[in-house]
Amino acid sequence: MYPSINLGPFVLPTAPTVYLLGVWLALSAVERAAKWLKQDAEWSYGVAATAVFVGFIGARLSFVYIYWAAFRENLLGIVWPLNTGYNIWGGIIFGIAAAFFYGRAKQLPLAQTLDVLIPGLIIGLMAVSIADFLAGPGYGTLTNMPWGISQYGVRRHPVQLYETAVGVAALFIWWRTSQLRLFNGQLFLITLATYSAGRLFVEAYRDNAWVTANGYHIVQIISLISLLATLILLARFSLSERPKPKH
Amino acid sequence: MARTRFEWSIWILLAALLGTGWIVVSRSPVTESRGITLTEAPIVGHLAPTFTLPTTTGESVALASYFGETAETGQPVVLNFWATWCGPCRIEMPHFQDASLRYKGKVAILGVNQGESVQTITAYAESIGITYPLLVDADNQVNLTYNVNNLPTTVFIDRQGIVREVVIGTMSKGVLEDRIERLLREQ
Repeated sequence: MYPSINLGPFVLPTAPTVYLLGVWLALSAVERAAKWLKQDAEWSYGVAATAVFVGFIGARLSFVYIYWAAFRENLLGIVWPLNTGYNIWGGIIFGIAAAFFYGRAKQLPLAQTLDVLIPGLIIGLMAVSIADFLAGPGYGTLTNMPWGISQYGVRRHPVQLYETAVGVAALFIWWRTSQLRLFNGQLFLITLATYSAGRLFVEAYRDNAWVTANGYHIVQIISLISLLATLILLARFSLSERPKPKH
Repeated sequence: MARTRFEWSIWILLAALLGTGWIVVSRSPVTESRGITLTEAPIVGHLAPTFTLPTTTGESVALASYFGETAETGQPVVLNFWATWCGPCRIEMPHFQDASLRYKGKVAILGVNQGESVQTITAYAESIGITYPLLVDADNQVNLTYNVNNLPTTVFIDRQGIVREVVIGTMSKGVLEDRIERLLREQ
């Protein structure tokens, strides 16, 4: 809808701008969450920043590996230009691995660290939704509802804004639960469960959804698995002997 | 929050049932006519916005000339938006060249350059042996119409001028041929 913003003589591409803003806000959120939960802010920030940085490099290297034949005679192409050519799954695997090893090296407690990291993850996912809304290829199903947005002459559900609203709800739940939490890891699980349930619901309104051969939305299936897994873990930890949060 | 094992079991079961039910209810139809809305837009299910652009050799190419009113009279089109400075575009261009030869007469493959001069495009095309039509979009109007924010972007259009898929990012040779075969299978 708004692929670029004109600032005088400069043209600012909205999607990369939102991604950069999202990374900055996500890292800031992790730092603030660490302070709020009385965790080590420096190390928590370190985990998140390492995951983002290594994830970025991992996504690029995975792409280069897959298309090595094309890069073999153009080695400069590995490092420039960087506007496209990333493998998202490679990025996720490298990012998680980096965060894991960083946490192990610094001997960070897993549950408390996840409690601190989850607001950053949610903000990152919200940035992806907003970038998709402003300049991405995604779009919602047709609607006559008054809040539908007009795209190329037809009214559609603003599905990316629904996703963003789900993120806001998950962050609110994180903040509320942080004042009442019973055990370490609870914030992570409840926030992830809220986000998963929300995405499970709103993904139905995405018209260009990633679907199986039978038409089932893959993001909905992943969300349901995530929701059930988090609920089972919440039940298990709630019913077992609970470690008290460190205040 | 639930306090007993029984209460938790009920909540988990309820989530599983409601979640599965919602997935089934919101399943997308798998028919070919899914979501087709006959207005011009560079998104799946819409008519591809028409344009006329010059090639690097000075000929004029009108997108509408490839489409027919029926499936028998038209020809599918693959629009590849690219630029010489775009590394990932350079990776996939040999695949488009191979496909243009393999599907000659069956599918039209058109490269739409983003805002570069004829000299720049021609020099690069000759250096890697590209022979399919490369269109010059000097003022970027077609790139803007097709909402191209990332390169490469490839738009697959069926015989009747309806956008069937938009792929952002580099495609492997296998993926490209798979998409072209799908277009050819559609009636």
